[in-house]
Amino acid sequence: MTEFIVITSGKGGVGKTTSSASIAVGLAKHGKKVAVIDFDVGLRNLDLIMGCERRVVYDFVNVIHQECTLKQALIKDKRYENLHVLAASQTRDKDALTKEGVERVLNELKDEGFDYVLCDSPAGIEKGAFLAMYFADRAIVVVNPEVSSVRDSDRILGLLSSKTRRAETGATPVMQHLLLTRYNPARVVAGDMMSIDDVKEILGIEVLGVIPESEGVLAASNSGVPVILDEASNAGLAYDDAVARLLGQTRAMRFLDAPKKGILSRLFGS
Amino acid sequence: MSRALPSFEPVGELKFGQVGIANLRLKSLDDDLLAQELRQKLETAPQLFQRAPVVLDLSHLPQLPDAERVRAVLATVRASGMLPVGLAYGTSENEALARALDLPLFAKFRAAYESTAAAPEAAAVVANVAAAPPRATPPPPSAARGAAGMLQALPVRSGQQVYARGSDLVITAVVGHGAEVIADGSVHVYAALRGKAIAGAQGDTSARIFCQDFQAELVSVAGHYRVLEDIPADLRGKPVQVWLEGEKLLLARLGP
Ligand SMILES: Nc1ncnc2c1ncn2[C@@H]1O[C@H](COP(=O)(O)OP(=O)(O)OP(=O)(O)O)[C@@H](O)[C@H]1O
Ligand SMILES: [Mg+2]
Repeated sequence: MTEFIVITSGKGGVGKTTSSASIAVGLAKHGKKVAVIDFDVGLRNLDLIMGCERRVVYDFVNVIHQECTLKQALIKDKRYENLHVLAASQTRDKDALTKEGVERVLNELKDEGFDYVLCDSPAGIEKGAFLAMYFADRAIVVVNPEVSSVRDSDRILGLLSSKTRRAETGATPVMQHLLLTRYNPARVVAGDMMSIDDVKEILGIEVLGVIPESEGVLAASNSGVPVILDEASNAGLAYDDAVARLLGQTRAMRFLDAPKKGILSRLFGS
Repeated sequence: MSRALPSFEPVGELKFGQVGIANLRLKSLDDDLLAQELRQKLETAPQLFQRAPVVLDLSHLPQLPDAERVRAVLATVRASGMLPVGLAYGTSENEALARALDLPLFAKFRAAYESTAAAPEAAAVVANVAAAPPRATPPPPSAARGAAGMLQALPVRSGQQVYARGSDLVITAVVGHGAEVIADGSVHVYAALRGKAIAGAQGDTSARIFCQDFQAELVSVAGHYRVLEDIPADLRGKPVQVWLEGEKLLLARLGP
């Protein structure tokens, strides 16, 4: 059984691609056969964060337009051979995606025996975002603890329950999870960020994980190593927990409290 | 590159909405006074009325004006900042007038004309925005409506709209910011109400709004609405009831 998971948010820059990369690696670490697809046509990013940008020959749009085979376009990860990346095209625009084309590619991945296919959605509620969520079995809604992000997520949750294949065919609804990212406990305490409970109360769905704001994320992105592989980073550990929960394990939430920092670590960060 | 849209997204989605159009019922023809009144409305709630679509209801004028005269009224309305989009349904002369002006007729208000004197006041003149002091003891609600209520058990998310035509609307999940829940009868929300709630959408003045956790952005009964830029501190998060008393929209805490 292949499970299609969309990583979506509505609002831009909240951490969808960062999360897609780390969750994909996390699932692969658990031995799952995983493909992660960049739906952000024209603004390709995922390949950079996955560290395979120099190996992109064919992309998702090429496969959709049958300019190459799926096999030619799937980039095998150097760390986990059961992990594959399908990059977005940098030169085309979102109209290059078609519903039939996306469906065909997803079906082919299913036939290839993938356990999980992650769809990294572009921001917004336009065509690219619609197509990324349309075939989903499960949705991970990435949200930052601030009002506008929460509002956009609410909108996305509404679309997930009305504009997806599952909604249209009356199948069991798309399973929905919240992934709270860039969580900064100190700022929550100071009252300039919403708390996990605030967000949960407003959106009314279960929280898959809370990823702390961490400098390790930017460093990881720049070096093409998804942060989940950085065991020294709290964000990496939090992604590891989230993946375990996705697989049905129970893990307590961590990193929810503001660390009591000494002056040195306050100066130099963690 | 073809710019064809995907088949699941129609080029145009045609739906009948129920909200967002104000009804301006004229009682006399005085452009200067009208301009002044509208200006005041716009000052009280600019977010609500600025560029808001408005339907002109000529039925309460002693005499139906001619097309030229109506054009002047439309210009006055437009000058106020609101956008006139059509005429309210009325007599056949009214219909001819709409045709002459090339404006649509809004049949939404039809019920008000078809039912006779006993009918409730339909979507009255642009809301009574003034905040009414909440009363401690609301009168008991009138007899139950005929049609069974519609049940909404899933959250109503931002951007979604749920409408119970001809009945009450009962919601057992959250109504998010920017969501709209509308009923021709009463609206009952057994959870947090953060969006807009509109009861008596066809003009039933006995309709009410009930909610368990009041955080609403806007409440309206039979066209009388109130925008809650700031939620009154004594109502925030509390069970609240909203009802009409004459032309006044009242809000009060429910229960002890
Ligand atoms: N937990 C975190 N701590 C610190 N920075 C983070 C964290 N998560 C994401 N970021 C940073 O936020 C920025 C946006 O992240 P990312 O590209 O993953 O977002 P996105 O939702 O995919 O954006 P887009 O909407 O543009 O696709 C990046 O610079 C990333 O490094
Ligand atoms: Mg992205």
